[in-house]
Amino acid sequence: MISDSITNASATAAPSAKDFGKKKRTNRSAKLKQSKLGLRREQWLSQVAMANKGDKEEIDSNRKPRSENPDQRDRPVENLDGLSREAEDNSGTHHHESFIESLSNSPNSILSGMNSIPNFSSSSSSGSGGSCSGNITEEEDPDDDGCLDDWEAIADALAADDDKHEKENPPESCEEHASIKQSASPRASVSGSNVAIRDVKPAMSRKQKSNQAWRPDDKLRPQGLPNLEKQRSFPVMNLHYSSVAVPSSCPICYEDLDLTDSNFLPCPCGFRLCLFCHKTICDGDGRCPGCRKPYERNTIKVEASVQGCGLTIRLARSSSMFCRS
Amino acid sequence: MQQSRARLFKEYKEVQREKVADPDIQLVCDDTNIFKWTALIKGPSETPYEGGVFQLAFAVPEPYPLQPPQVRFLTKIFHPNVHFKTGEICLDILKNAWSPAWTLQSVCRAIIALMAHPEPDSPLNCDSGNLLRSGDVRGFNSMARMYTRLAAMPKKG
Repeated sequence: MISDSITNASATAAPSAKDFGKKKRTNRSAKLKQSKLGLRREQWLSQVAMANKGDKEEIDSNRKPRSENPDQRDRPVENLDGLSREAEDNSGTHHHESFIESLSNSPNSILSGMNSIPNFSSSSSSGSGGSCSGNITEEEDPDDDGCLDDWEAIADALAADDDKHEKENPPESCEEHASIKQSASPRASVSGSNVAIRDVKPAMSRKQKSNQAWRPDDKLRPQGLPNLEKQRSFPVMNLHYSSVAVPSSCPICYEDLDLTDSNFLPCPCGFRLCLFCHKTICDGDGRCPGCRKPYERNTIKVEASVQGCGLTIRLARSSSMFCRS
Repeated sequence: MQQSRARLFKEYKEVQREKVADPDIQLVCDDTNIFKWTALIKGPSETPYEGGVFQLAFAVPEPYPLQPPQVRFLTKIFHPNVHFKTGEICLDILKNAWSPAWTLQSVCRAIIALMAHPEPDSPLNCDSGNLLRSGDVRGFNSMARMYTRLAAMPKKG
């Protein structure tokens, strides 16, 4: 049990008080323990007060640990074991752990007390699971306050970027702020980002669509018709098209193109076919089915070795051929 | 042999899939011989062939698609590039301009295009060609329409 291990470390008050109160109920020792405990509690309270100087806008439901404190101070001795029982009930939760921790840290410097508080709020909020209600976060520490101001400034500027949002603000402070501010602006920012994403997607698809007149799977696309050569005569477009519009099957034999076939570009017109059909055609009249111009065998070798070089050479030749015809 | 057969099978599948896409062309394979096809094409609109349905006969050679299919009109048609008696078609892509990338379907499309845009300078039907070359478009249109009604319309044919 967490509470035992922690109280063994420094504050042995609670278990011993429990034992005493249960068995003997002698007021004297209990009063002694109470006075010790009360002293420590006062010290701790003063530290918490210093730490929480700036937080006046806290919500009531957040107040659990601190609202317990006045009760504890005023409690009679026999309530001590009630307190410890309550503590045991709560033990295992981060809530109690950090409470005892801060209690045990109280004789130390203020800094350690302050350190325990951010741990407290973060662990408790993570333990209760993040939703947008206000009772998630138990404490507002000064660090979070600074972030809050920063966040508000961003929200006011209506430039809430998601990345920035997550970087500058820990999640619990965002949620806290959402609950305080009636969660208007964070939702707006989130929906805004959604809109942005939605805007991006159609733009991308439009971009892809605009690359070609027909999609490769389009039924209306006249497969392998020679009207492709016009578009492919531009060098940049040529590269682009060769990456996009590689047919999945050979337009001659309709067999699927394998990797070698799909990397095989025998003609400057960009007409692709499988190696088998290419050989059959070269054995026959040797003209490209796409543009009906004779295949040039040197060009194919060059293209196979250095693609970029082959591209320019082929373009030059095709243009010269165009002039001749 | 095997290659052309495989390719024709693939084309057959393609045709079955595309049937709805192109209502002007109906390609049917012979039941027993995949190298024999028939096609029904609708006469293009705003031509004298509008409203007619023309039947084409395809004879696919063994080296197909390296060699073009032999196509002829079974339906009589008055067109400068179609032989009036045999139905032979004078179309460059069925001769020297053939490309293995063409399919039977695309040949049908080319023939429809040829019906809409006759080429009177290389006529197979000299009467029809002469009408057009002499500028008698009206005479040509009436003759072509008459033959369309006679031969290509189901009721009167």
